[in-house]
Amino acid sequence: MAVFMDLNITYTTDKKRLRSVIETAAHLGYSTVAINYVVDLQQKKQEIGKPKCVLELFDTFPIVQGKSRPIKVLNRLTVVASDPSHFRPNAEYKAYDLVAVYPKTEKLFHAACMTFDVDIICVAVTEKQPFFFKRSPVNGAIERGVFFEISYTPAIRDSTMRRYTIANAISLTETCKGKNLIVTSGAERPLELRGPYDIANLGLLFGLSEEDGKAAISTNCRAVHLHGETRKTALGIVHTMKKDQPLTERQEEEHVPASKRAKLETVDS
Amino acid sequence: MYPELAKCPRSLLVCEKSNFEHEKSRHDTHVSKHYFNHKVSVVIPECGALSSRLATVINNFSKYFLVKNLPVYEFLDKDFLKNVVWNGALYALSYKTSIDQDNTIALLPSSQLILSVDKDTYEQLGLEGKPSQYNHRQPMRYVVTIDLTDKSMDPEGKRYQRVLSCLKERVPLKSDFLLGRHNSGANGDRALQSLLSRYQWKEHRPVVSSHTLKDLPCPSLHALDLRGDQRSCDPHSFLEWLGAVSAGVSCDNTAASFLSTYICPEPQTLVSQALHCTVSGLLLPEDIYSLLQELRRYFDEPKFTSWLSLTVHGFMDSPVSWGDAEHGFHKGGENFYNLVLFKNQDYWLHMGTGSHDRCPP
Amino acid sequence: MRRADIKDEPATYERLVYKNTSVYHYMRISLVLENENTRLSAAQLKQLIVSGLRDLYGEVGSAFPFDLLKFDARALTGVLRVYNSGLVKLWSALTLLGSYQNERCSFRVTQVSPFLLTLSGNSRELELELD
Repeated sequence: MAVFMDLNITYTTDKKRLRSVIETAAHLGYSTVAINYVVDLQQKKQEIGKPKCVLELFDTFPIVQGKSRPIKVLNRLTVVASDPSHFRPNAEYKAYDLVAVYPKTEKLFHAACMTFDVDIICVAVTEKQPFFFKRSPVNGAIERGVFFEISYTPAIRDSTMRRYTIANAISLTETCKGKNLIVTSGAERPLELRGPYDIANLGLLFGLSEEDGKAAISTNCRAVHLHGETRKTALGIVHTMKKDQPLTERQEEEHVPASKRAKLETVDS
Repeated sequence: MYPELAKCPRSLLVCEKSNFEHEKSRHDTHVSKHYFNHKVSVVIPECGALSSRLATVINNFSKYFLVKNLPVYEFLDKDFLKNVVWNGALYALSYKTSIDQDNTIALLPSSQLILSVDKDTYEQLGLEGKPSQYNHRQPMRYVVTIDLTDKSMDPEGKRYQRVLSCLKERVPLKSDFLLGRHNSGANGDRALQSLLSRYQWKEHRPVVSSHTLKDLPCPSLHALDLRGDQRSCDPHSFLEWLGAVSAGVSCDNTAASFLSTYICPEPQTLVSQALHCTVSGLLLPEDIYSLLQELRRYFDEPKFTSWLSLTVHGFMDSPVSWGDAEHGFHKGGENFYNLVLFKNQDYWLHMGTGSHDRCPP
Repeated sequence: MRRADIKDEPATYERLVYKNTSVYHYMRISLVLENENTRLSAAQLKQLIVSGLRDLYGEVGSAFPFDLLKFDARALTGVLRVYNSGLVKLWSALTLLGSYQNERCSFRVTQVSPFLLTLSGNSRELELELD
C-alpha cells in the first residue's frame, strides 16, 4: 500500500482558507495533496496561467498526522471541455504536476480515454452523467494508465448531488470493475474533508470492494502521481526514463533526479 | 440493497483455557513471542489500590529509547551485533510509521531484522524478500527478513557485506526508532550508548496510571466455563465489558434506553470497588511476564474476587504480531491478548486480531 | 470432557477459535462544528446521526439499532456500537453528514474496531517528546 493522498483540493485565492484546508488534510493523515486549478475551456478566451508556487503557502509545511514528515503539495490543472479542439496541451500544462480533463460530451470522453495526454479523467458528480461509460474507451484509459476521478464534496453538500455521485460512480465501477479509480475531496473548506479510512469505507457505496476503496486513495493516487511525473518529463524517451520515476515517491530524497531535487527538498523541509 | 454494505472486515478471536501449572501450558511462549507491546491494563475486582509488590514490579518496567533518524545499517555494526543484537532481548520498532502506508522496520529479540517496505524501496534495495500477504491486486509491499544470527551474516562473510552495502549505499533506509532492551550487560550498555551517542535520542519511562472504580457491576466467571454456557458470560461479552471499563462506558442502561442499551453481561455481581491500572510505552515481554508472575501470586492470600485480568495491546503498526507472523493494518491493526487469572492457577487466554493477521498461535 | 461441576480440579486445556463472531463494531468519533461555541447534548448527537442515516438509507435501510456508549459534551467525542451488518451504513452516513442545524459540521472517525477493548489501546496515538 502507499501513502494516502487527496489529489483534489479546490484552489481559492483566499490563501488563509487554502492553508487551513491543507492543514486539515495533514491532520487527517493525507501525506500528499494536490491544489486543483479548474479552467473551463468551453468559454471563450480562457487562459491557462501558471500555478502559484506551493512554497509560498507555508513557512513550515504541516506535519502529517501520525508521521514525522510534512505534507507534500502538488499542483493540478483540470480543463473542462466539450470539444476535442478545446484540448491543446502546451507548455503551460507542464507547469502542473497533474493534468485532468473533465469531459462534457461522449466524444470528448472517448478522446480523453484514448488519446489525450492526461493523468485523470473527471466523472460528473454534480449532474447526471450525460453519456454512457462504454467498455472500450474505459478499457483504453485503463491500458494507458489514465485514472478516473470521483469527488465526494458535492455529496456532502447536497442530497441531490449525492444521488448523482453515487449513481455515476456505480455506472463507472460496473464498467471499470473497480480498477483505475481515485476518490478525491474537491474540498473548498476544511469541514468538507474526510479521513482516508472514511473514504475507503465510502467506496463501498460506489460499488468498490474494501481493498479497491483503499487503493482509490492510496495506491491508485501514487500511480497517478507517477503518471504525471512521466508526462512532465517525457521527451520521447519515456521508456528509458520510466524506471527512475518511482524514486520521486520515496522518502529518500537523495535519489530524486537532479532536476527535481531542488524543488522537492524545499517542499519537504 | 447491496449485500456488500452488510459485510465488515474479518476478525479473529482465539480463546484458551488451561492451568499455569500444566506442563504443556504455553502461556509463557504466548507472552514472550508477542514482541511489541504498547499498553498493558490490569483489572482487579474488589481491590482498592495497587499492592506494594505489584507497584514495585510495574515501576521496574524497563526504560526505552526514542532515537531520531537512525539508519538501519547501524544495527549491523559489528560491535553492536556482537554485544547487543546477538545477546538477544533487543527490541527495535520504527516509530510513527504506518504499516499500511510507510516503510516499517523491526528488529526482533530473536535477531531477525524485518523490513516491510513499499515496492519502490524493495526494487531499489536489491535484497531478497517476499510479497506481503496482504497485498491487493498487485504487490505493493514486500517483506525482507534477515536473520542476523545466520552464519552467512558473519561480519567477515560475503552476504553481510552485501546487506550492509544495500542498506548503506543503495537505499540508506532510516527512521525514528523505539529501542528497548531487557538484559543489561556492561558491554551491551556500552555498545548501545555508543550507538545512541551518534544520534538524537531520549530515554522514556513507561507511563503508569491507576484508578479505582466504585460500585461496578462485574461479570461472574467460572474457570471451567470458557464458552460461557452457564456460569460465565461468553468471551466476546466479557472482552466487551473489559473494554467498557477501560473506556469508561456506563452499563447503567435498559433495553429501552434511547442513547445506549449496553448492560453488564450475566451472570454478574456488583463489586464495591475495582482497580484499573494501565502502563503504556514500549513494553517488553520480559517485564510483562514478571507482572504476570506477580499477578499469579495475588491469590496467595485470600481475596474476595475469584479472578483478575491482564490485557496486553500490541503496536498496531508492528510488522509482526506473534513471533514472526506478518501483521497488517486494514481498518485497524488490532493484535492483543488478555489473560484472566483464577484462584487455583487456572487461566483463560484470549488472543484477538483484525483482518490483516494470521490466526494467533 | 470433565463435568463442569467438579470445582477444585485444574482446568483441562481447551481452545476455541472464533472467526468473525464479534457481534458488534465500535467506533470512536468526534464532531467538529464550524462554530466552536455550539453545544449539543448526547440525545441531540444521536438524533443527528439517526437523521443522517435516514437521509441516506431511508426509513427501512436506516432502521437498525446502534448505541452511543459514551459521549463527552465538552469535547464532542463519543463511542458508538453497531451491529456488524450496520457498520458500513453507519460509517458512510457519518461521512456524508455535512451540517447540523444549518451549520457546517464534520464527523471525524478516530478508530474503528471489532473489539471495544482496543479503542483504549491505540498505539497510533503514542506521542513521545524528544526534548
